[in-house]
Amino acid sequence: MSGQPAPQVDANANLLEVEDLSVTFHSHGGPLKAVDSVSLSLHAGETLGLVGESGCGKTTVAKCVAGLQRPDTGRISLDGIELAQRRTRSEYRSVQIVFQDPYSSLNPRLTVRRALTELLAVHRLVPRGRAEARCRELMSLVGLPAGALDGYPSAFSGGQRQRIAIARALAVEPRVLIADEPTSSLDVSVQATILSLFADLQARLGISVLLISHNLAAVRHLCDRVAVMYLGRIVEIGPTEAIFTDARHPYTQALLAAAPRIAPHGPLTRSRLRGEPPSPTAIPSGCPFHPRCPRAEAICAVELPELARARGSALDAACHFRDERRHPELVA
Amino acid sequence: MTAPALSVEALSVSVERPSGRFLAVDEVSFEVAPGTALGLVGESGSGKSLTLRALMSLLPPAARIETGAVELNGKQLPGSGRAARRARRGRMAMVFQDPLSALDPVYPVGAQIAEVPRRILGLSRRRSWERTIELLRLVGIPDPARRARAYPHQLSGGMRQRVVIAIALASEPTVLLCDEPTTALDVTVQAQVLDLIDSLRARLHLTVVFVSHDLAVVRQVCDDLAVMYTGRLVETGPTTRVLEQPRHPYTLGLLDALVDLDRPVGAPRPIPGALPDLERLPGGCTFHPRCSFATAECEADRPDLEEILDDGVVRASACFHHDRLATARAAQ
Repeated sequence: MSGQPAPQVDANANLLEVEDLSVTFHSHGGPLKAVDSVSLSLHAGETLGLVGESGCGKTTVAKCVAGLQRPDTGRISLDGIELAQRRTRSEYRSVQIVFQDPYSSLNPRLTVRRALTELLAVHRLVPRGRAEARCRELMSLVGLPAGALDGYPSAFSGGQRQRIAIARALAVEPRVLIADEPTSSLDVSVQATILSLFADLQARLGISVLLISHNLAAVRHLCDRVAVMYLGRIVEIGPTEAIFTDARHPYTQALLAAAPRIAPHGPLTRSRLRGEPPSPTAIPSGCPFHPRCPRAEAICAVELPELARARGSALDAACHFRDERRHPELVA
Repeated sequence: MTAPALSVEALSVSVERPSGRFLAVDEVSFEVAPGTALGLVGESGSGKSLTLRALMSLLPPAARIETGAVELNGKQLPGSGRAARRARRGRMAMVFQDPLSALDPVYPVGAQIAEVPRRILGLSRRRSWERTIELLRLVGIPDPARRARAYPHQLSGGMRQRVVIAIALASEPTVLLCDEPTTALDVTVQAQVLDLIDSLRARLHLTVVFVSHDLAVVRQVCDDLAVMYTGRLVETGPTTRVLEQPRHPYTLGLLDALVDLDRPVGAPRPIPGALPDLERLPGGCTFHPRCSFATAECEADRPDLEEILDDGVVRASACFHHDRLATARAAQ
């Protein structure tokens, strides 16, 4: 498309770099460490999946990257240039976010055309005479007819609204698109269409995507690499296939074992992870996963394992036993 | 064949909208054998939740039962009103989707459970409290005597859903109706709650009707499936048979659209078109505009749900072309 700079995909260059990010909220129950020393990078044209259960800090990471949440410590840089706490307009433009709920993220009183043209005008992206053409271009990019520009959000279904939200994010020509659970409020038959749209946009525009999801199947389908978070920390990160076939962290293994599956896949009653994630206001000592971990030994209660490369694997795992293969009890 | 524990005959429910009344559940019939679980699946607007609420006599004010009979152990239950709810007390109970809104925030959970055996079974206060502790233990809550005094906000999401299940079981029902009981939960907790429902069914010989939009979840707990589309049952049969060899194009479409963990290669194929508006349903088979098997017959006539004998298994499909589906699958 014409308005977008030609995709320059250099697979080795880190487009986005997050280093040592930490965020603490102050709640009634005391300080809540939502994100603890998270580092990750996103190459140009890459899709990185960020998975974990609710409260693990994945959305807080996304908000920091999008500039919607101020981290306590840590650096976020784009193309090697650190983004300041207060971003410039063009810095905001370069990282865009699509939210989970397309019913609350669109202004109900603006037609789609008005919402988009306002955005284009504020960011001075196209001359006024070109705005209509650009709006039509955006609609076709997300698979909606040009007639949709005249509608108010209430006239559209959930899947269509999510397409509009994506068009709005793309209108400002971002380098990085963050999608925070983009399909979890949609019907099953519509989820597939939105996921295909992301794959398609990535191929056509060469943008980088940070996909936040608890839907492991969607992540496997779309992502080049996956990071797994537990209680504010990344516990495992690496290439998607390695995560799904040879995960080294017992938490990743447990997540995979718990995911509901259609195809018969071994005995139906697998051993389950005991308990639920503890409150982030009272994070356990040592490895935060040790109270629920079937592999835990004495050292796990005392010493926090660092995120390091597992032997014979392409994965980094934060587990003292990262060099072992799957724990037999958690094999999916 | 054993007599069904629950049988529903030609149930129709209409809903009032400003634009007029329309049928949201249209002549739905099914039977559930004692001690087994039936999964009622479909997308939003398919009528699955309304069907469940009609069974429980808990329809919203805008909805009413037009026709149909509900039989419990061979005896017909009154359809609506106070008598209907009294007739269900102690025999049928329901587990709701969102445990936080199903529980009263200002009473300890134990008091909310104890109320049920006291008022419905007529137990003494002391005996009700003992029963409450037993129930909390039954649903897998550790330290039940202490947890009984906790308020809902002091419990985690999974614990709250266990409490909701305990309340449902407190009246000693034979039929348990579950309305998307794990949708609000994380995967590792969802797996635990599904295991719990399955083990309770086996231990207490409960008859379960489980409503969900997630075929993979339903597969884990249900012996039989009933697939709904636009208020009608389109396919019924044993779970594995329906999922492995669907005989209705909508079931096939749902399966193809599903992003499945075990099928990472090959993009999910969305069902073309969108769910129709219930007030403006297409003529003939309501699925025909989205169906690749449709012929002129499908536009003209509406197929009934008809029994098919498939390798000695009784199942049913509301499709004129169900045998073409079987041969198409065999050819693949």
